[in-house]
Amino acid sequence: MSQQKPTPPILLGAVALGAAGVLGTYFAAGPERFWANWVLWFVLMFTLGLGSLFIVALEHLVSARWSVPIRRIPERLATLLLPAIPVGLIALGAVPVLYPGARPEAAHHPILAGKAFWLSLPFFSIRTVAAFVLCVLALAVLVGGSLKQDVSRDPAFNFRARKFAPAFMAIFALVITMVAFDWISGLTPEWYSDIFGVYIFAGAFLSGLAATALALLYLQGEGRLEGVRQDHLYNLGAFLFAFTVFWSYIGFAQYMLMWYANMPDEVIYYKVRLTGAWRAITFALAALHFILPFFALVTRDAKRDPRRLRRVALLMLGAHVLDIYWLIFPALGGSPRFSWPELSFALFFLGGILLWVRGAMQKGEDMPVGDPFLREGLEFRL
Amino acid sequence: MSDKKAYAVLGLFETPDALMHAIPKLRAAKLGTVEAYTPYPIHGIDDALGLRRSPLGGMVLVMGVLGALTAFGFQYWISAIDYPIITGGKSAASWEAFIPIMFEVTVLFATFTAGLGMLLLLNRLPFFGHPVLSAKAMKGITRDRYALALEAESEAFDSAAAAQALEAAGAVDIEVLPAPDRSPFLTSDYILRTLGGIFVACLVAGLGIYSLIKWFPLLAPMKYMQDQPRLNAQKASNFFKDGHGMQPPVPGTVARGYLPTATGTQDASATLVNPLPRTKEVFAQGRKVYTNRCEVCHGALANGAGSLTAAYGAKPANLQAQQFRDYPDGKIYWAIVNGKNAMPAHAAYLTEPQRWAVVHYVRALQRAQNATDEDLKVVAP
Repeated sequence: MSQQKPTPPILLGAVALGAAGVLGTYFAAGPERFWANWVLWFVLMFTLGLGSLFIVALEHLVSARWSVPIRRIPERLATLLLPAIPVGLIALGAVPVLYPGARPEAAHHPILAGKAFWLSLPFFSIRTVAAFVLCVLALAVLVGGSLKQDVSRDPAFNFRARKFAPAFMAIFALVITMVAFDWISGLTPEWYSDIFGVYIFAGAFLSGLAATALALLYLQGEGRLEGVRQDHLYNLGAFLFAFTVFWSYIGFAQYMLMWYANMPDEVIYYKVRLTGAWRAITFALAALHFILPFFALVTRDAKRDPRRLRRVALLMLGAHVLDIYWLIFPALGGSPRFSWPELSFALFFLGGILLWVRGAMQKGEDMPVGDPFLREGLEFRL
Repeated sequence: MSDKKAYAVLGLFETPDALMHAIPKLRAAKLGTVEAYTPYPIHGIDDALGLRRSPLGGMVLVMGVLGALTAFGFQYWISAIDYPIITGGKSAASWEAFIPIMFEVTVLFATFTAGLGMLLLLNRLPFFGHPVLSAKAMKGITRDRYALALEAESEAFDSAAAAQALEAAGAVDIEVLPAPDRSPFLTSDYILRTLGGIFVACLVAGLGIYSLIKWFPLLAPMKYMQDQPRLNAQKASNFFKDGHGMQPPVPGTVARGYLPTATGTQDASATLVNPLPRTKEVFAQGRKVYTNRCEVCHGALANGAGSLTAAYGAKPANLQAQQFRDYPDGKIYWAIVNGKNAMPAHAAYLTEPQRWAVVHYVRALQRAQNATDEDLKVVAP
């Protein structure tokens, strides 16, 4: 059951301090650095919300029962899509600064001239706004409907959600591809990779799973979510384990084909990331996003151990931040930048996300109490 | 009860709950190993029976890692050590290219270990006629009954006491299973027969195919390599613009394992460095080639007084002249490769080491004719 607790002042202080740093970045470190950070955190917020919504829709799509008792957690995390909308609208200010395809020089560029219309700021904004509209629609159907069911106890929601889930998968594919191609790959518009959307999907789903596991363990620590057992934890752990492998499979498949073909326009992407200090970050990413979680989660006990799962979930979230940083920041040119602007943005957005999620976690029921399958989900055993 | 030795005593239960309640009582009685037979997996039965954790996961992990290392080692040895071929400008030991096969072999080793390890090592298959399979209760166990067996651990097994204990624990139907006449498990005899059978089958198949191909040579087993499109030496080909099958090397390229040769002007070749060491063998080789190819014009002392000079009508270079003593090695080499004035090119019949050996030998001749006091000191043993 929900319980109101005062917001810890340290969280508010962190956000305020971060906000000051964010403003300072624009004037002291220049607009390019400001916008790169802003886009980084917009993508992180948006992919976390999308990944969580994907978990919810996946349950409805395959009529999963085990995850019914913990479904409220990804549902609450998915509401992060709402604050992500103003953040995304502000992020459109980055388009003329960071995205070469939307700058006036693009008209004279032999490659970019042909797709100037697609990459131009007006059409870029239209696509982003359309993605927001689709997300709000999906959020209303899947999460709003589930919240209403708490009161109405109407099983009709389950049928509606199951019918909507396949449509959501199509929406999700479109939106995540938009995030990948427009917001990330658009920074280097001469570089192509068909699989890039799938790569971003793997990261988004992983971050949703990791955040769900973390929130689950936090709520259990507070004595809430009674009836959720090790068996549910195990399934979350198994999902995390599987998708770290999936992420590295996609990441390596993309790298290997480009490395083999050695086409200058493709391979430059990795050339930049494998020289200088970026090289160390690339190897750190492989270690933190794949090797470490793989061996940390490989045994059966590890997937059920709350302490280990908490550590791995934190690691996965950190690795996801590093992954998106590794994708966006080389566009600024030169060696990796990490200093007070990045720290301020992290403080501001992490604090904001935590505030939002905290608020969401304190409202309403901790489990979908109106769902007719809740009992079956609670009785789930491996 | 028969006086024949019993393998186990089997008790039937109506519900899984009754079975689960009976397990701790029977384990506490310590009459024999408690084993359960159920039509489907029952939650928590592993813990109730006190089954130790299966070692299969660890085996699979070890074999999976071994598979990855095997695939890496194989590919590294083939591509980087035994037969290095540069493909697409990549280094011979490119780990990126090894990953897909490492992945496949990891999966192969892991799945084979999981499957075969479970069946052969842990389940001890194949075995023939497990005593429980011939139980009357078997039909029920595979459908809707739940059975517990107290299996004999030693000669002292008391089947009457076991039956009583089962009844006390709530079993509705009790059956004593006689011990089989011989071990139902895999024996060395069985393994030998299987291996022998495989060996004979391989032998027969191999000999059969060998003689078939020998007697009916028209049935070539695999002729794709003979039929492949290829360029033949000294034959025309439509593949190239000039219609020749044989093509000169691309200008400016150097064959692997060879040094840049003298293809430019003589002055451009001045920078070439003699790669051969000054050893006895090299000087002997240079002397032999010089005697066969050079001496007839340039003379045994390299002074231009060869035996052919008058008849040939040309004036060969006196290699002892100051001009040639000041030549760098590369310019002499260039003259051997390309010829100079009336001297023909010798590239066609002298290998690269032979040419450089001659350069060393010419240097020796020049020094011998202009020896200093220092040289004489060095020669004295």
